[in-house]
Amino acid sequence: MTDTVKQILDRLYPDGYMGRFGKVYTDTSDFMRITGGDVIILAGEHYLVLRDEMERSFGVEDPKYWVKRCRHLESGERRILKLVFYETFSLSMGEMKIPCYRSPRKEARILDLVRNDPRFMQGFPAADEAGNNVRVLYVVQGKRLDNWIDDLDVDHPTYFQTHLPGILEKFIVSCQAINDLHKMGEKHGDIRRDHLWVAYESGNYVWIDFDYTFSFHENPFGLDIFGLGGLLLYIVGKGFYSHEEVRQLIDRNRKIPALEPEDFLLVFKNRLANLQKIFPYIPDALNQMLLHFSSGSRVYYETMDEFLQDLTTCLKQVK
Amino acid sequence: MDTNKILIAADGSENADRAIDYVTDILQGAAGFHIKLLSIEHLPDRDFFADDTAWKEACVKNREELIAFLAHGKERLTKSGIPEKQVQTDYVESCHSPLAEKPDYCSRGTSIALDILHVAKTQGFKTVVIGRRGVSKAEEFMFGSVSNRIIHAGSECTIWVVQ
Repeated sequence: MTDTVKQILDRLYPDGYMGRFGKVYTDTSDFMRITGGDVIILAGEHYLVLRDEMERSFGVEDPKYWVKRCRHLESGERRILKLVFYETFSLSMGEMKIPCYRSPRKEARILDLVRNDPRFMQGFPAADEAGNNVRVLYVVQGKRLDNWIDDLDVDHPTYFQTHLPGILEKFIVSCQAINDLHKMGEKHGDIRRDHLWVAYESGNYVWIDFDYTFSFHENPFGLDIFGLGGLLLYIVGKGFYSHEEVRQLIDRNRKIPALEPEDFLLVFKNRLANLQKIFPYIPDALNQMLLHFSSGSRVYYETMDEFLQDLTTCLKQVK
Repeated sequence: MDTNKILIAADGSENADRAIDYVTDILQGAAGFHIKLLSIEHLPDRDFFADDTAWKEACVKNREELIAFLAHGKERLTKSGIPEKQVQTDYVESCHSPLAEKPDYCSRGTSIALDILHVAKTQGFKTVVIGRRGVSKAEEFMFGSVSNRIIHAGSECTIWVVQ
């Protein structure tokens, strides 16, 4: 007979406080029922559920019921369990809707491929008793890169001179990581600002969350490359700039530059890609890279090799 | 130049239907042409399915539909007066197909356009016909465009892009 939660906690976590003793789950299929105070058993290991993970956007917290913040009772360390949730949805990219899928098997496969590679979050797949492909993830001790950059309390010229070269250097390592994934026939699938983190201890950047997938026949890695372009724009600009933000940024002594539609991103048409217009010290080569993602571009990056080659040249120029 | 060999890219879509119609109309049953209807197998993404059984079922269905499309296309061409022996169909398997029968050439799944051009080159087709999907600039960047890639990469043959 399976132990109760109380018995498990008495044995493995006697000093921990738990307000609620819930149920023990060996089958995680009904993940909506699993909540704080429950224990999930996977491959003989015990995970005390603390709460559902939250996704924060626009100041609103949206619970992700299939992602559980847990304590691994055998080690006492925190873990994240991603339970199986098949979801098909449309990802909005500007005016485009892209059919995407959440694929536990894809993320499980990539976790195996990137094991011990510090450029990616770490973890392992573990099947529950019902055969659900649960992913056990180690928590990245760090901070989102965009928040880390945002918190640098310096103006853009100082940021550009002092911080950007180091950030670009690490970003190139992250891009190489994505290139390595592509060469293994895999894609990240959801490259965006909140999925690249700065690890507190090493200062290195770590990719998280690769369970999204999509199917583009002729350009299988296009969405990843576009995501990196957006991230590069954020890194170089220390943020995104809409028409209104450009107006606010330019001080009263400086004329607001003429901005054309082709100066903005191809997909997110309110984000200025031609940053040289507001930060004239940005080198041509770096600005040209950003313009490859703009409405005015006639040429796009098709492979990470091309993207990395240009980015490496740019780094030399800003150093 | 061997201009009487025409390769039609047939992916089962309405655009491919238009390409077949166009060739039918333009040839008017004229003799002396050799036509091949070509499908490149594009597997349903394995990650979209909970298990391999469901994926394999989808692969079988996908294959059956494309082969039926090729057969129907051939019928339309022959009905227009082109002799049956001058119309062939070809189905290039994916290298990753669970149904693969170890073909001489298989599609690696990285570019349908380059697979089509490979067949054209190795089998001596000097005219390639493809229906245009009509994608926006942003869609082309994100998803790619088979017809545009064929236009750019197909330097050794004539390309008909059917609107």
